[in-house]
Amino acid sequence: MLSLKIGRFLYLAANWAVLAFLLLPIAIIFVFALNPTPYIEFPPVGISLKWFDKFFASSQFMSALALSLEVAALTTIAATVLGASAALGIARGNVPGSRFITAIMLSPLMLPAILTGLALFQTYVLMDVGRPLWGLVVGHCLVTVPYVVRTTLAVLHNFDLRLEEAARNLGASPQRTFFEVTLPLIKPGVIAGGIFAFIVSFDQFPVSLFLVTPGQETLPITLFNYLKYDLDGTIGAASVVSILLAALVVIGLDRTVGLRSYVKL
Amino acid sequence: MNRTGANVMGLALLPSALFFALFFFLPIGLMAVMSFLTGNPVVMPNVTATTRHYERILDDPYYFEVMWTTVRIGLYTTAATLILGYPLAHLMARIKSRSLHALLLMAVLMPMLTGIVVRTFAWMALLSDKGVVNQILQALGFAPMQLMYNEFGIVLGLVHIYLPFMILTLTGVIGRIDERLEQAAQNLGASPIRAFIEVTLPLSVPGILAGSLLVFALAISAYVTPILMGGFQIMTLPILIYQQISANFNIGFAAALGMVLLTLSLILVFAYNHILAAVSGQRDLA
Repeated sequence: MLSLKIGRFLYLAANWAVLAFLLLPIAIIFVFALNPTPYIEFPPVGISLKWFDKFFASSQFMSALALSLEVAALTTIAATVLGASAALGIARGNVPGSRFITAIMLSPLMLPAILTGLALFQTYVLMDVGRPLWGLVVGHCLVTVPYVVRTTLAVLHNFDLRLEEAARNLGASPQRTFFEVTLPLIKPGVIAGGIFAFIVSFDQFPVSLFLVTPGQETLPITLFNYLKYDLDGTIGAASVVSILLAALVVIGLDRTVGLRSYVKL
Repeated sequence: MNRTGANVMGLALLPSALFFALFFFLPIGLMAVMSFLTGNPVVMPNVTATTRHYERILDDPYYFEVMWTTVRIGLYTTAATLILGYPLAHLMARIKSRSLHALLLMAVLMPMLTGIVVRTFAWMALLSDKGVVNQILQALGFAPMQLMYNEFGIVLGLVHIYLPFMILTLTGVIGRIDERLEQAAQNLGASPIRAFIEVTLPLSVPGILAGSLLVFALAISAYVTPILMGGFQIMTLPILIYQQISANFNIGFAAALGMVLLTLSLILVFAYNHILAAVSGQRDLA
């Protein structure tokens, strides 16, 4: 029985170690962001918000943050409309080859995102359009539409078709049935997909890499370029801001639709 | 009436189908074409077809070295995520308490929703020459170690980034294995470890394969972590592709390298889909 206890102990110890491995690097960012010294100092020597001041006072970081938020907002709107309508078409359209169409809609998630960026960049070069904002939003849409398609399809699969039939039997027109029964019922899936789209776009690096103009970069690219030469607390502060944003989104997801349904990869 | 309604809903597919055709499949097709051209046809009037970009890749052993480094980093990352991820996936699949399960899920999703650049930064703060780990080592009287600017650092950073993908894939598959099978083995006298090795582990092989392919595909296309953790010392395929655009503006050669990465990924995607189909087929039988 002793070996059983040792086995059980090792199993739990391994799991604690993996959890620590997952979460400690994120914790260290907070330490680093609040530490007043301009270099990494461990154990921390004090608490200060000066790196946050520096981050929010930096015009370079602020314009990057503004661009990221703008692109993420535009992407969320476009991806939600495209993805939700695609999911409705797949689930209700009675279109042949719906499995194939679903695979197509999810394919940008399976291919290296850096190739999506490269292929779009080459297309824009051939079209001679430069690197417009819409081009960046298009790139972000390609990698976010799949999330909306997936979350909306998940809701549509659990959807009781008799609710629509009941509405129609009671005399509602197809349009009225759609707007008053179908749409409200799929709303959680669409919203969850939209939240996913926002966070994926906000953190998107590889697609943006080819599509931003120098001097007009999104936050992850600005952070990356800064990291190449500097390792001071400003990066920590910028990171904490984006982590808090992600945490807010996770809580939002859990509140609106629950986390469990989104972990089926 | 039902059928007309159905067809109207089918029209909802049109915008996204058009969007994907124009901005996903057409660009990838153009990339394939560009990989066979001598230059950019918009600015160069005398562009001709050529296979020289591919010949360059095949002729120079340097590019094989780059590809092998990329694949090797992918293999190390996959093996490490599997070894680290399996116990936690098993715990998540078997844990009874709903609130503990939710907490574990949060812990796995939290890093996933933290950007790649931010997480790579965290590893730089930990592992750089004057980073947290080396400061602790020195305080304890040990010599500092070179923990990054090498493949070890790259793999460690990638493992952190892709471990959640492995855990979630494995959890899904292990969760579908009937726990009573393991209990039956134990009732017949097998130790818990033997019951696990002879019952649960073989049944989770489809999840191991699916998770491994996914992590491998993601790891070979990574850009940020290899460049920052490698300190510009180690060349991988994605870094080389970006360098061909940013430093040389050689879009034809970048396209050819892109096609190599695309082919590698497509092979993996097909394998992944086959394994996923096998996994879901098994669930249907249960």
